[in-house]
Amino acid sequence: MSDRLTITFEGRKVGAHPGQSLGAALAASGELALRQTAGGDCRGMFCGMGVCQDCLVTVDGAPNQRACMVKAADGMVVRRQAAPGETPPARMGAAPILFENLQTVTADVLVIGGGAGGLSAALAARSCGLDVLLLDERQTEGGQYYKQPSAALKAEPLDRQQRDGAALRQRCEGAGVRIIDGAETFAALDAGSVMATHAGRTAVYRARAMVIATGAYERAVPIPGWTLPGVMTTGALQTLWRSHRALPGHRILIAGNGPLNLQVACEVMAAGADVVAVAEAAALFAPARAGAALRMALHDPSLTAAGLALMARARRGGASLRFGQVARAISAVKGGLEVELGSATGGHGERFVVDVVALGYGFQPSNELLRALGARHDHDPGIRALRTVRTRECETTVPNLFAVGDACGLGGALAALEEGEIAGLAIAERLGARSPAGVSTNAAHRRLEGHRRFQAALWRLYDAPSPGLSLADDATLICRCEEVSKAALLAAMADGEPSIGAVKRRTRAGMGRCQGRYCGPLIAAHLAEETGRPLDERALFAPRAPVKPVTISDLVGGSPP
Amino acid sequence: MSGFDVLVAGGGIVGMTAAFDLAREGRSVIIVDEGRHSGTTANAGSLHIQMQSRFIRMYPEQVADLERSLPLYPAGAAHWRALEAELGVDLEIKSSGGLMVADDAEQFAFLADKCARERRLGLDVHMLERAELARIAPYLGDAVHGAELCVEEGKLNPLKANEAIRMTLQALGVQRLDEAVITALSPAGHGIEARLSHRGGQRSLSAGQVILAAGSGTGQLAAMLGVAIPTVAEPLHVNVTEATAPLIGHLVQHAERMITMKQLGAGQVVIGGGWPARFTGPEEFPTVNPASMIGNLSLAQHIVPRLGSLRVIRTWAGVNTTTDGQCVLGKLPGHDNVFSAVPGDAGYTLGPLVGRMAAALAMGRDPGHDIARFTPARFAKPG
Repeated sequence: MSDRLTITFEGRKVGAHPGQSLGAALAASGELALRQTAGGDCRGMFCGMGVCQDCLVTVDGAPNQRACMVKAADGMVVRRQAAPGETPPARMGAAPILFENLQTVTADVLVIGGGAGGLSAALAARSCGLDVLLLDERQTEGGQYYKQPSAALKAEPLDRQQRDGAALRQRCEGAGVRIIDGAETFAALDAGSVMATHAGRTAVYRARAMVIATGAYERAVPIPGWTLPGVMTTGALQTLWRSHRALPGHRILIAGNGPLNLQVACEVMAAGADVVAVAEAAALFAPARAGAALRMALHDPSLTAAGLALMARARRGGASLRFGQVARAISAVKGGLEVELGSATGGHGERFVVDVVALGYGFQPSNELLRALGARHDHDPGIRALRTVRTRECETTVPNLFAVGDACGLGGALAALEEGEIAGLAIAERLGARSPAGVSTNAAHRRLEGHRRFQAALWRLYDAPSPGLSLADDATLICRCEEVSKAALLAAMADGEPSIGAVKRRTRAGMGRCQGRYCGPLIAAHLAEETGRPLDERALFAPRAPVKPVTISDLVGGSPP
Repeated sequence: MSGFDVLVAGGGIVGMTAAFDLAREGRSVIIVDEGRHSGTTANAGSLHIQMQSRFIRMYPEQVADLERSLPLYPAGAAHWRALEAELGVDLEIKSSGGLMVADDAEQFAFLADKCARERRLGLDVHMLERAELARIAPYLGDAVHGAELCVEEGKLNPLKANEAIRMTLQALGVQRLDEAVITALSPAGHGIEARLSHRGGQRSLSAGQVILAAGSGTGQLAAMLGVAIPTVAEPLHVNVTEATAPLIGHLVQHAERMITMKQLGAGQVVIGGGWPARFTGPEEFPTVNPASMIGNLSLAQHIVPRLGSLRVIRTWAGVNTTTDGQCVLGKLPGHDNVFSAVPGDAGYTLGPLVGRMAAALAMGRDPGHDIARFTPARFAKPG
């Protein structure tokens, strides 16, 4: 790893490696409490991927900076932020601009998102000679599956998953895909154009066809104490280690539902953490699930074997594996966080005191741009989320708008790779580009079918009732941003069969910086259950621009310097 | 079929405040709301008093009417304070003053002229030169040359206000039917019969009286009774920033460009002022237009440069109603038991006052203001 640099946090010197995020450097030195809310609570990093906005700190006087997204630089002065933050002096008075003055960048194909699906789509379209522009919000693309470390970190890939990601990126760069890192796409204008901020300026990016590959973020399952510093998503814990080589604590408990939890348990154990327990809501070894396990083994024996090996490794490392159990409550105690495990339906279970709790309950598609453009979605009870309606070639109901990967229905990274290739080649054909000799999508379709069957069996194996709001108590916050409790939300939702918009206006739930990404699906599911409202596109908060918070000076910094 | 004393079409601020007065006087009331335009309560919370320059520029032929309506605005803002006391809930009403800023001497002269006319009409308005302005509004940038200050202008928290009134109505036993579309209105006996489609089903209601407080939908409802009211829906863009420490005390507008800005109690800055949004889909769902987001925020940063470091976290499309710049308030011609209640421009400022006056009309009482020229009969075709 690279040389150390030094930042200060609340006046204390903290070491960091070049390429590490502020959040990672702070977590590695035990600083988990990063901001204070209007309600007086302390918050830390929760999602670790720029979505939740809970890790806001003041950096060199600038408030509201996401610690998980800002790279540490030598001499940075970082302060804990009280709510609301001060507004710093203006950087510069700028003359007003209009939309028409914005710079426009054009290409044949625009790809939004640089994970497995986006990179694969870009490469396939580029291999047919098309001019491909890929926008990724991170400084180091690779998405949430490949989780690439920053080049400045000079870290060796941890395993094949990370090596594959690096290789795919290199192939894209080698093939001449134009990649813009650190570009936040905040609005979709039509099927072929978006607006994004990059390096403090906004531009319109326009192409003849577009691929949305914006991935997914982690689903929220509120339990008492889930907003405490040190409680984070399993993905955040994984990002800290894989992308930043930082561990936020030594004793770790991981709880939730789905195969990622065991994988991350093994990864952080290999990094030296003491994973005391992994709680999995599904009773994986119940006889009723044997069929699903068998089907998984049939469709992908090596992945199934890898899953079993993970279990064995976690056990050997000393983790207690609890199947059919969930984390029921977390509280701050002397020396860390006390977690209570138990069955999802009630009863008190064993307690553990740890430094960090990781909660992983699967994912929610990041389909905001697709919904904003009017692409049709259907609710899929199997994944408890909206699935983008697509043709076999991954085109949405909006012509020339393609969608691949988890953004349109949680198929996993391997399926995203195949969908990317299929979409990229379909776009090439649509635009009249010539594909290289011998390339056909038949093989990709065949592999995709296999991945989908495996995924379906995996979903059945891990099937567990969604806890929804049931594990929260009256005082538990459901909307983390605006600090709306379960009791307040239930009262608003029980009053006259309101729409989700009415619930938002009554309670402020969903009006905060995360734009309702965590509480929205929970409220929609509850309203559907109570009132019979369909769980369609309109059941969620309207996907309005900006689909990510954007700094106003960046947003209107459109003219060339 | 069930009978009510009064059916109020529209569950926004006008309909709710009309229902409030009627229910307090013992009338049985049902509110029917279409719930299409964001539940019709997507308000931004400005309390406007001085003439908005955007209307003077857009509709110069309406200036005389605007001036005639002017005394209603301070009364509307004062009525909000009375309503707050009656509800017994803190609506975060602040009469912190409103500034209309000018970029240069020419705009300043335009404002000075407007200020003189408004003073003659009784408003508490003053012109502020740069130095004096910097003292009371240090957040304004160097681009601002001077401003007109309207002392009584201000703001309130529209979410709190709408919710407080809704809860009060519930306690008073006012019934409410949301996501219900009135498909027909017809005289029946001494009352009116309304046919509705409600969440996929059909039903009908009868009421002794009807108040049309449906904003831009009022024209369509009046047409069912053969009366013309030319209401036009104007979807408008609103931006909201993340919360920050107190920065902008006033309601801020511009002499020539479309903007309103104010900071609410929780610290967010709400920025709007007439940039267009649009309707999409068969249900005409109001949707924001990214070009308006850019233009509106760019202007905001030009006036208050420190806004540049804040992030915009939320936008919405509110629906303004325009007619001829004046309220449409009074008995529908040919229908003694149907009243229209549409505020003129700045519908939220005037909303509770118009609601109260409509309720007074329905109860056969004096509305307290001269409303003769607001009559819907003015739109009737001659002959």
